[in-house]
Amino acid sequence: MLLKRTLGAVAAVGLLAFAGTALAQDKIKIGVSYPTPTHAWAAGMNWHAEQAEKRLEALYPDVDLILVNSSDPEAQASALEDLVSVHQIDALVVLPFESEPLTDPVLNVKKSGAWITVVDRGLSQPGIEDLYVAGNNPELGRVSAQYMKGRLKDGDNIVVLRGIPTVIDNERFDAFMAEIEGSGINVLDHKHANWNRDDGFEVMQDFLSRFPDIDAVWAQDDDIAIGVVAALKQAGRDGDGMFVVGGAGMKEIIKGIMDGETLIPVDVLYPPAMIATAMDQTVAAFKSNGPVAGRYILGATLITPENAESYYFPDSPF
Amino acid sequence: MNVEPATPAAIIEAVNISKSFGPVPVLFSVSMDVRPGEVHALIGENGAGKSTLMKILSGFHDPTSGQIRLDGEKTALPANGGAESLGIVLIHQELNLAEQMTVEENVFLGREIRSKGFLDKAAMRAAVQTYLDEIGLDISPTDRISDLTIAQKQMVEIVKAVSRNARILIMDEPTAVLTEEETDVFFRQVEKLKKSGVGIVFVSHKLNEVKTIADRVTILRDGQWIDTRASNDLTPDMMAQMMVGRELSDLYPPMHEADIDAELVLEVDNLVAPGVGPVSFALRKGEILGFSGLIGSGRTAVFEAICGLNPIEGGSIKLFGRDAGPMTVAAARDQGLAYLTKDRKEKGLLLDKQMQPNLTLFALPKFVKNFGLDRKAEEDALNRAIRRFDVRAKDRNITVGKLSGGNQQKLLLAKIMECDPKIVIIDEPTRGIDVGTKQQIYHFIAALAAEGVSVVVISSEMPEIIGICHRVVVMREGHITGVLTGDHINENEIMRYAAGLKREDLQ
Amino acid sequence: MTMMTASDDTATKQAKRPSVDFKTIGPALALLILCVIGFMLNPAFVSEGNLTNLLTRSAFIGIIAVGATFVITAGGIDLSVGSMAAAIAGVMIIIMNGAVETMGTGLATVLLGCGCALVLGIGAGWINGALTTKGKIEAFIVTLGTMGIYRSLVTYFADGGTLSLNFDIRGTYRPVYYDSFLGLPYPVWVFICVAICGWLLLNRTAFGRYCTAIGSNEAVAKYSAINVDRVKTLTYVIQGLCVAFATIIYVPRLGSASASTGVLWELEAIAAVIIGGTVLKGGYGRIGGTILGALILTTIGNILNFTDLISNYLNGTMQGLIIIVAVFLQRSDWKLGKSK
Repeated sequence: MLLKRTLGAVAAVGLLAFAGTALAQDKIKIGVSYPTPTHAWAAGMNWHAEQAEKRLEALYPDVDLILVNSSDPEAQASALEDLVSVHQIDALVVLPFESEPLTDPVLNVKKSGAWITVVDRGLSQPGIEDLYVAGNNPELGRVSAQYMKGRLKDGDNIVVLRGIPTVIDNERFDAFMAEIEGSGINVLDHKHANWNRDDGFEVMQDFLSRFPDIDAVWAQDDDIAIGVVAALKQAGRDGDGMFVVGGAGMKEIIKGIMDGETLIPVDVLYPPAMIATAMDQTVAAFKSNGPVAGRYILGATLITPENAESYYFPDSPF
Repeated sequence: MNVEPATPAAIIEAVNISKSFGPVPVLFSVSMDVRPGEVHALIGENGAGKSTLMKILSGFHDPTSGQIRLDGEKTALPANGGAESLGIVLIHQELNLAEQMTVEENVFLGREIRSKGFLDKAAMRAAVQTYLDEIGLDISPTDRISDLTIAQKQMVEIVKAVSRNARILIMDEPTAVLTEEETDVFFRQVEKLKKSGVGIVFVSHKLNEVKTIADRVTILRDGQWIDTRASNDLTPDMMAQMMVGRELSDLYPPMHEADIDAELVLEVDNLVAPGVGPVSFALRKGEILGFSGLIGSGRTAVFEAICGLNPIEGGSIKLFGRDAGPMTVAAARDQGLAYLTKDRKEKGLLLDKQMQPNLTLFALPKFVKNFGLDRKAEEDALNRAIRRFDVRAKDRNITVGKLSGGNQQKLLLAKIMECDPKIVIIDEPTRGIDVGTKQQIYHFIAALAAEGVSVVVISSEMPEIIGICHRVVVMREGHITGVLTGDHINENEIMRYAAGLKREDLQ
Repeated sequence: MTMMTASDDTATKQAKRPSVDFKTIGPALALLILCVIGFMLNPAFVSEGNLTNLLTRSAFIGIIAVGATFVITAGGIDLSVGSMAAAIAGVMIIIMNGAVETMGTGLATVLLGCGCALVLGIGAGWINGALTTKGKIEAFIVTLGTMGIYRSLVTYFADGGTLSLNFDIRGTYRPVYYDSFLGLPYPVWVFICVAICGWLLLNRTAFGRYCTAIGSNEAVAKYSAINVDRVKTLTYVIQGLCVAFATIIYVPRLGSASASTGVLWELEAIAAVIIGGTVLKGGYGRIGGTILGALILTTIGNILNFTDLISNYLNGTMQGLIIIVAVFLQRSDWKLGKSK
C-alpha cells in the first residue's frame, strides 16, 4: 500500500513538473531570492522588490517574477532548488545570505541554464554570475570622508562609530581612513556600534564623557546616527556646528535633510532599492537589445537637500 | 564439627586511630580489626563516630593519627573509593546508585564488560541475573533503579559489592529500611558472604539484629572505644547500656490508657487513592494509632492522600466531625492535620539551609506580621524548639545536612509541631537514629497524646508499634487487613495480618 | 549546656568567617576593582556625567535581573525576557500611536501605554509560569519557545523594520528617561525602587522564603504546605512585571523598537544574577548581588569604550574574562572550604 501511495505521489509530481514546463514556455520566469527581513534595511529591500515586481509585471505581461525570502542560508539553498525544479526559472536574482554556503547552490541554478544576477554580497567563486549589482562600500567611506574634509579644518576632532565587524564594515572604514589621512583631521577613536540604535546611543555617550572636544561624528549608518543624535541632545552638545554623517538612506533621515536639519545635514546612499535595479536589469537582459551582462556598481551618492527628494520613499519601511 | 583456627589473621586493622575535623575531634585512639569470615558489628549512638571510622576504614577519610594495616602491613588507603580495588567496599547509607540507569548498568558501572569495543550487554545481564537469583531478589536486570523500592535498591548495592569480589564489606545501616522478611533474606546473603571468607563490618541501631548476625561487637561512645566483645557474651540490653553509658530503663514510656469514649477527630470512609483502598478507619482524640505492614503496603499512601499530598479518587474524610473534601496541604495544616515524612532528607528538610528557615517553613504563615516575616518570632521559635526537642548542634548556623540523623529527626519533628497540630501523622519516627534519641521521641509522642493530640505512627519496626500504640491498624497491599487492640498487639498477630495469613472482615 | 555549645560556636565560626565574607563582598570587590581600572585608564570615568550614564544604562538589565533572581532562586530560568521587552516596547508604541487621534499626545496616552506594558508583562510572565507548572514543560524549553515567539512578533509588527513613536508623544514621554530628580535620572530611581522592593520580597516575606525553599528542594517545599505551582508561576509574573518596568523606561530613550531591541538581554540578566552570587540551580538568591552584577556588566562595556588599548575585536573576550573572574572571586571560598 505504501508503495502504491509513493507511486501516486511520483506521478503527481511528474504531472506538476510537466504543467510547469508547459507554462514556462509561455512566460519568462524570474526567481528573486533574498533573506527574510529582520532589520529595517532588509525590510526596505523587501518593499522595493515588491514594488519592482508589480511595476515590471504590469509593463511586461509575459514576465513572471517569483519573490522568495528565506530565514537562513540552508533555507535559501532549498528555496533555490525549488525555484529550479518547481518553477523552472529562466533567470535568478539572488542576494545571498552568506557568500560561502550559497556559492554551490547558485552554481547549480546556473547549470540549469538560467541567467544569474547576484546582488550586494558577492559569491566566493568568480564568474558564476552574468550580472553583479551592488552598492559601493569603499565609496561610501570615501564620500563620507570627502564631505568631512569639506566641512572641517586642520586640527578638528571626529569620532567614528563602526558597524558589526565584517568585511563590509572594514571596506567602508579603511576607505574612510585612507581618504581622511593627511587632512589634519584627528580621528579620536573608533568603536563598533553594530548598526544598532541602542549601541550607537551608548557608545556615543561614552565618547562624549571621554572626549570634551568633538567636532563631528561619522556614524556610517543611519540607525547608529539616530542613537548618536539622541546622545548628543542628552549631553547638550548638539550645537556649535556639530554634525553627524550616517549612511544607507533611511526615509526619516532623508526627510530630515529635505527639511533642512543641521545635525544630520547629508546622507550617503547605500540603497535597499538596489534589488529593484537588479530586477530591472535582469528583465532588460531578456527585453533589451543592449548588452546587460557585467558589473553594475551603484554610486555612493551624497544626498543633500538639493537632491534628497528623489531618494525619498515615504511608503517604504526604511 | 569444623576445626577452626583459633583466630585467623585480620584482613584489615585500624590501630589507635584518631581523627579531627578542623578543631573538632571526633575519634580518640580507636582500634578495630576485621577478620575473614566474620561479621563485626559497630554500634554506638548517633555522633559516636561510627561513620567516621567506617570512612577511615574504606579510605574516604585519612586518620589524623594512627595507622591502617592491610594484611598486617601498614597502608595508606587510596582516597575516594579507590580502596575498592583492594577489595574494600563501603555501602553508604544514602545508596550510591545512578537512579536513571538500570540494575545491570549500575552493577557494572565503571567496569563494563566489553566485547570488540562494544558493551557486551548479554554477558552483563546474565551475570547480574545470576547474582539476583542467588540473593533471591525478584527484579529484572533491566529495571530502572528509580522504579525500585528502597529495600530493593539496598539489595542492588549488595549485589554490586558482591560482584566486585569484596574482601571487606562495610555496610552503614543496611537494614534500617528493610522489613523483617527482607532482613531475613539479607541475613541469609550475609551468611553466604561470610562462608566465602568476606569480612563484614555491620552498623545498625537494631540491637536484636546485631545479636543475631554479628560474631563480634565493637562499641563506640562519643568518639571513644568502649569495648570489643564476642556477641555471645552480650545481650541487647547490655549493648544499649554500653552505648549510652547509663541505665536505659525505659525505652518506651508507660502506656496511658486511651479514653475509648473520646471524640472522633478523623473518620476515613472508603478512601480510594493511587495504590490504596478502599480503606476505612477512625482516630480518637488523644489516641496513638499505629499503622503496621510491610514496606509498600500503602500506609504512607493513605496519609499522603488524606493530607493533600496526593489526589483522592474516592471516599470521604471527616475532620472533627465535619466533612473535609480533598484538601491542599496548607488547608490540612490550617485545620490541625500535619504529616511528618519518613524521607527526611528528600522531603523533610532543606539540607543546604540552616535550622531556622527549616524550622518555620511548614508554619510560615504564623510568622507573618505586616506582610513581612517576624524574624524575632522566628528566632524565638528556634530557641524554644532547641530546648523542647533537645536539638544538639555545635553551631546554630551549620546547614541541616551536617546534623546527625537523630538531630535532623528532632528538627523535623519540631518543624511539624510548630503549627500546633491536633492530629499528627509520624511516618517512621525513628528510622536510622540512635537508641537515646529514639527514647526521647517515644516519650515525646506519649506526652503529645496525653495533652490530647491524636498521633498516627506509621512504622516498620514492630517493637515500637507495640511499645507505644494504643491501637494498631495492619495493612497489606493497599487494604486494611486487621485492627488490633490491647493484648492482641503482639508481633505474631501483626505479622500474620501483614503477611496475609489472617484477615478481619472489617465491614 | 547552652553555654558550652556557645563556646564551641565561636571556634567554628571564626574558622569560617573569612570565606563567608568573601562570598558576600566578592561582587562588590570586583566592581571596585573595575572602577579603579576605569579611573586609571581615564579620569573622566568618574565624571558625574559618566557615572550617571552608567547607572541609567544599568537600569534596564538591572531591573530585569531583579526579576530573574526570583525565577532562578525558585529553580527556574527565563530566556524570553529580551524578546519580551522588544515585544512589549513594540505593542506599547503601536498602542500609543493609535491613541493619538482619540486621546491626543499628552500624559493620558503615555499612561495608557505604560498601563498596557504592565498588563502585557504580567500576562507574558503568567504564560511562561503556567506552561512551566501546569503544562509540566521544562522552563528552559517554554521560555526558549516564547523567546522565539515574542521576537518574531516584533519583527511582524514592525514589518521587518523599526516601529517609531509619534514625534509629539515622544516629547511628552522623553523626560521619563532624560530628566532627573534630586540629581538622579528617573530610570535610576525606578531601578532603586525595584531593587528595594525585590530585596524586601525575597528576604523579608514568606513568599521569598518559599522561592528559596522550592529552589532548594521542591519535594520538601510541597511537604511543607507550600503551593509550589502558584509560587513558581508568581516568580515568572514578577519577572514579566520587571520586564515591563524596564521597557517603560527604555521606550522614551530612542522612541523606537525593532527586531534588534533587547537582543541578548536574557543572557546579560542571567549573567548579572549569577555574578551576584545567586546559584543557577536555585535555592539561594541575592538581590544585592544581582544589582552589583548588573553594574559590573555595564561597567565593563563602559570601560572598553573608554580605552583604545584593546582591539575592538577582543571586546567579547574581555567581557567573558571579567565575568568568569568575577564569579571565580565570589566562589573561591568553596575551594578554601574544601581544602580544610
